[in-house]
Amino acid sequence: MSPKRSDNTSVLGTLFRCEIKRLMRDARVLLISVFAPLVIVPGYILVMQWIGNSEEQRLEDTVYEYALSGDEAEWGLEIVSAALALEANDPDTSQAVVRFERQQVTNTDSLLQAGEIHLVIEALSPEAYERSRAEEIAADTLDPEEDEVAPEIEEGSDGGTAPELQLPIIRLRFRGNSDFSRRAHDRLDARIREVRSELRDSVYLAGGFPVGREEFASVETENTASAEKEGGALLGMALTPFLLLLMLSGGSIMAVDAITGEKERGTLETLLTSAASRSEIVAAKQMGIIAVGVVVVVINVLNLLAYLVLGLLELPENLAVALSLLDLVLILILFLPLTVLISSTLLLISGYAKSYKEYQIYFLPLFLVFLVPSLAGILPGLDLRSAIALVPIAGVGVAVREIMVGEYDWLFLAIAFASTAGASWWASRLTQRTLLTERLISSSDLDEADLLGGPALFPRHVLRWFVGMWVVFFLTAIWVGGELTLQGQIILNLGVIFLGGSLLMVRRYGLDPRKVFALRPVHPAVLLAVLVGIPAAYLTGIGLSTLVDAYLFPVPQSVLEAFGEVLLDDEIPLWQLVFFICVMPGILEELAFRGVLLHGLRKTWSPVIVCLVTGGIFGLFHVDLFRLIPTAYLGVIFAAVVLLTGSIFPVMLWHFGNNAIALVPQRMGWVTEETVFPEWVFAIAFVALLIVFWIIWKVSTPYPDLKKTRPREFS
Amino acid sequence: MAIANVKVEGLQKSFWDESRGEVRAVDGIDFDCQPGEVFGLLGANGAGKTTTLRMLATILKPTGGSASLNGYDVLADPEAVRRSLGFYSASTALYPRLTGRETLEFFARINGYPANQVNQRVEELIDRFGIREYAGARVGKLSSGMRQKISIARTIVHDPPILIFDEPTVGLDVMAALEMQNVIHELRDEGKVIIFSTHIMSEAEKLCDRIGIIHQGRILALGTLEEHRQATGKHYLEDVFVHEVMQAEDQSAKAMASPGEPRTSL
Amino acid sequence: MNWSDIWVLYRRELRSAFRDRTIVMNGILVPVFMYPIMMWVMMTGLMFVLGQMERESSRLVILDPPSEHSALVDTLGAQTNLEIQEDVLSEDSAMVLLRAGDLDALVEFLPPTDEGSALEDNFQVLIRYDRAVGRSSQASARVESTIADYRSEWLSQQASALGIPETEHEQFQIVQDNVSTEEDIGTLLMGMMIPMFLVLMIAMGCLMPAIDSTAGERERSTWETLMTVSASRLSVVTSKYFYVATLGILAGVLNVVAMFASMGVIMGPLLMDLGESANAFQFSLPFLALPVMIVAAIALALFFAAAMMILAAFARTFKDGQAMVGPVFLLAMMPILMGQQTDQTLTPLTAAIPVANAAMMIRDAINGVFLWPLIAETLAVLLAMVTACLLIARVLLKTEDFILLSPDGRFSKFSKIFKSSSRSRLGRNSSEGLK
Repeated sequence: MSPKRSDNTSVLGTLFRCEIKRLMRDARVLLISVFAPLVIVPGYILVMQWIGNSEEQRLEDTVYEYALSGDEAEWGLEIVSAALALEANDPDTSQAVVRFERQQVTNTDSLLQAGEIHLVIEALSPEAYERSRAEEIAADTLDPEEDEVAPEIEEGSDGGTAPELQLPIIRLRFRGNSDFSRRAHDRLDARIREVRSELRDSVYLAGGFPVGREEFASVETENTASAEKEGGALLGMALTPFLLLLMLSGGSIMAVDAITGEKERGTLETLLTSAASRSEIVAAKQMGIIAVGVVVVVINVLNLLAYLVLGLLELPENLAVALSLLDLVLILILFLPLTVLISSTLLLISGYAKSYKEYQIYFLPLFLVFLVPSLAGILPGLDLRSAIALVPIAGVGVAVREIMVGEYDWLFLAIAFASTAGASWWASRLTQRTLLTERLISSSDLDEADLLGGPALFPRHVLRWFVGMWVVFFLTAIWVGGELTLQGQIILNLGVIFLGGSLLMVRRYGLDPRKVFALRPVHPAVLLAVLVGIPAAYLTGIGLSTLVDAYLFPVPQSVLEAFGEVLLDDEIPLWQLVFFICVMPGILEELAFRGVLLHGLRKTWSPVIVCLVTGGIFGLFHVDLFRLIPTAYLGVIFAAVVLLTGSIFPVMLWHFGNNAIALVPQRMGWVTEETVFPEWVFAIAFVALLIVFWIIWKVSTPYPDLKKTRPREFS
Repeated sequence: MAIANVKVEGLQKSFWDESRGEVRAVDGIDFDCQPGEVFGLLGANGAGKTTTLRMLATILKPTGGSASLNGYDVLADPEAVRRSLGFYSASTALYPRLTGRETLEFFARINGYPANQVNQRVEELIDRFGIREYAGARVGKLSSGMRQKISIARTIVHDPPILIFDEPTVGLDVMAALEMQNVIHELRDEGKVIIFSTHIMSEAEKLCDRIGIIHQGRILALGTLEEHRQATGKHYLEDVFVHEVMQAEDQSAKAMASPGEPRTSL
Repeated sequence: MNWSDIWVLYRRELRSAFRDRTIVMNGILVPVFMYPIMMWVMMTGLMFVLGQMERESSRLVILDPPSEHSALVDTLGAQTNLEIQEDVLSEDSAMVLLRAGDLDALVEFLPPTDEGSALEDNFQVLIRYDRAVGRSSQASARVESTIADYRSEWLSQQASALGIPETEHEQFQIVQDNVSTEEDIGTLLMGMMIPMFLVLMIAMGCLMPAIDSTAGERERSTWETLMTVSASRLSVVTSKYFYVATLGILAGVLNVVAMFASMGVIMGPLLMDLGESANAFQFSLPFLALPVMIVAAIALALFFAAAMMILAAFARTFKDGQAMVGPVFLLAMMPILMGQQTDQTLTPLTAAIPVANAAMMIRDAINGVFLWPLIAETLAVLLAMVTACLLIARVLLKTEDFILLSPDGRFSKFSKIFKSSSRSRLGRNSSEGLK
């Protein structure tokens, strides 16, 4: 008498209705998380507008005080009076007239610093200017702490000033950290420029030049973009992050209850023993999150429209948006994987968290991880025809902007869609896995390793240690990196952070250094293979970076040059460079990454994944984007060699050789930045590299104690 | 269509522990039950009772052996298994923001009870358990006794031929536990297959037609109470249980093959 | 109140807090690790965009270049980031390309305007571009600046041809002299950001512990256990209160320090873009600023802890607590409102607005302004708020309903409690249920 199974949609519908019903009854949470902001946000906007307006009013109402000094003060007064007359009689009424008042004072600088006057105008003869500069420079060297922002000598869009010219000087002294002083300066500066331009014109006219200077080769620009297009660009930038923000915060109201809440209340098991399948449960919950997210988006958009109608917010003038039906459909199609991604990721963390509190921990980082790429559309220079299309979320952000602007490329739209859809599919899969009861039941907080401590705990903590080391590495690079010599930096990074961190871990977990650092003898053939591998891997690496530079991450020229300069620094003798750039990394980086890190991770994943992860982390420790992929590539190779040979010595040799090959020929001038290798060189190098690996494989003495392969029934 | 019964053959469950490798929580269990029978699993905490029952309910996947309920295999057709099954345990809670009636409706629907009969069935159960008075109130506001009744009604709302009760009387007072036992008797009389686990001897003595004593993931002895008494020469179930367990411990000590205490069941 | 009891209880709270993953993560690990990582991501993103923009050449079409000024066209052609498309010859076809996004700018040489026609060989340039497209705007800017350079060079050549001395045609030079040092600018930025982040982070730091020690205890049913200890209820609550405030200060300070430690990466290039020739982000704090900031942080933490705990105490579960505390959080956003004003200091009026006044006080301190009477007013206002909260707590603790039953967190029920604190109801156990 088994009842007939009703079809899938009705089960899904029942589950979905139940989710929504339960949420709707959580009245207070809804009230506070959805409706409270609707009331409070306008309040904030009003107050901010009021403060902004009153500040603007204050800037307008102020009569700006200036002082005039210098050996050419009389001439200066003429210029300034002419400038002020221009300001006072400005026919353009869209800007309020700024009023100035002269103060007859002598101790100008101290008054300026104290904020008593807003601007000091110095009219100087060339000689007087030179003198005062010399004095200031002398004062600077006496008191290096007071490194004043160097005066900016204009370089000219309309001046073309030759520095050797002996011209009288108008110097405008102001305080950049005061809005008032800055405003006084900006306005007077613009007016004085106008005066000067008029004076120059008159000189030219007197000299026989038939027209005003500005009339020569006058440039006019015409913006061909329609108002709709510009509106589209503006809206297209903000649309994705706006939607994402609302979907995330709205969906989260539902998501936290969806699995975490059920776990905490113990209703999850009840649900799992019902006839609904896991995928139906996940799908219903995802639909719930999307539905709530969409409702929150709609409420907020309506709310925004209400503000517009009430005049709380003002739109930029002439904002117009015209979207064809096709565009609209395209945008909706692009947002589809995004909403699914959001819902499945929220559901994922809901599945991982065991309590509301834990959910909160995961939510904040998730929020940032989503928001940052969605801002890609705001960066004006970013084109979808680049690696950005491959980045989930970011690709959609840029794609939506391009659709709204009306210029897009079908192929890259498809890539952006596919990357985000792929990510959302993956997240959904993971979410279904969190519903496997094994994980819910058997993941106790405390287990043997926690109790025993020592080596058993080490694999679990090793990544944390490396995150910590990375942070220290990064922060020291920011704060002391600039003040250290190359040697100092390398000693700090390799000697202190890498070696120190490694030794600390060995000590803390009572590890056996021989095992951790893989100090094992190795088959002589391997060392020979490595000698061939060094140039092969190096050249393959160059080929790889060329590809990366061309297709993924173009590197700014300035960055490349800055890096090259270090290597070419003539002040450091070659033997020192070899020691610091080849020997030390060869030993210390290997001990840290292919020693400690690899040892810690060896049981966590399968060997291939371990290689990739170790390589990736090694790449991240080189901080710069453009060095990430080449170093990660080397890291993967080194990790593979260590896993195959069970010893760290071959990679120490390899690393040393690699850096030496990078350094010495360039330093000796045998190759330069411009040297271009023909493509067949890369091909040969790549084949050689494969052969080297084949040899190492043949004589391999694998790293001991790798991950036990998990029997199929457990996966 | 097969008759409603439960067949368990060589059922195994191992958990994978990164540091220890395989841990066996259930290590080859065989039994079967017929309609109108209450089968009891008796064992100490951590013996593998809950893990076994969870495998039957398809919450956990067996790593070895097979089990079929109502003719459906737990691995091949888990949804059909769950449809013919009502599962009640101390950890199957109810949604606090749904009312009692909504709860029953919800579970009837997702368990595939014919849609046009759902309301009739729900009203029937409301009367049967005498919960009409508060069927419209939210579950979160009810007392524990009231919730228990709804919870039992929830278990049988889709009229499953097989019912699993995992330590149903844990944490209940005497009257509530008695009520539970009555329900189980009624259900047996209706011809359901009932599997029931407990660590309370008196309950097992009173309720079960047949009892399996489970220890460290194995069934040590299986039979009616009378058969157990004859096999061990003890009268009280408590003594029977202790006798069987001690014997098993002795044997495993001799065999020196102890894989360690299974720690994974609750 | 017994202070030694409070001390014992306080230490227990702190100890268990440091074993709580949520609190440790939010309060300590997130600031220490997240900010540097975030900054790195931003820096990397910036680098990526820079690389893209630099690599991108502007596609131009030049129509009717004047033969007399072929030097200008040659200069344009010689620029590596300009790519002149020779094969497009008509305005119409160029406009089609421009609209389709296959062209970035159309540069058209036209006869001079009426005013300019007196000059022989004069011309004017019309640059057509699409402002909605980033690379098109960039193309227009590149062409414009090239033409401007050409113009000034050509004009000075003309001047020397006409015999005008250079000093005459240049007239005079304008020098911008910003007397603010790099440190002044750094201090200005710090003055705007530190108060904002410190307030926000102290509130964030108080959030979890405040909910955990009230609603959380209820949920775990440890609240009743606590109420049965021999220490007075007020001591219990006071110790909790100090503990929440402690964590708030800790989180606030850690966050601000970590954030600014990693901020340098981003600030350096940004300041450079703003035209300040700063290599690194520099600032200095007046000696007195630190103690003033610490006092402000303590006062803020005491205030947030009190306000949040009072609200969260009405909740039955952690999640409820979070919803209840939400509104207090909005108070923490107040300092954002003052971000726009550079020259404002504390006034008697602003000193009376809680939270905003403390933020203002911190900013003044960073800028080296110490208005002692107003600082006193600020602290007095905050402490008065704290006292008010504590008084409410005291009343609440006297009502049995509050201790025993959690009234579903409904405010309507609570208003009854205040009225009928004498009428005791039979406590309904909140942990009832089948669970």
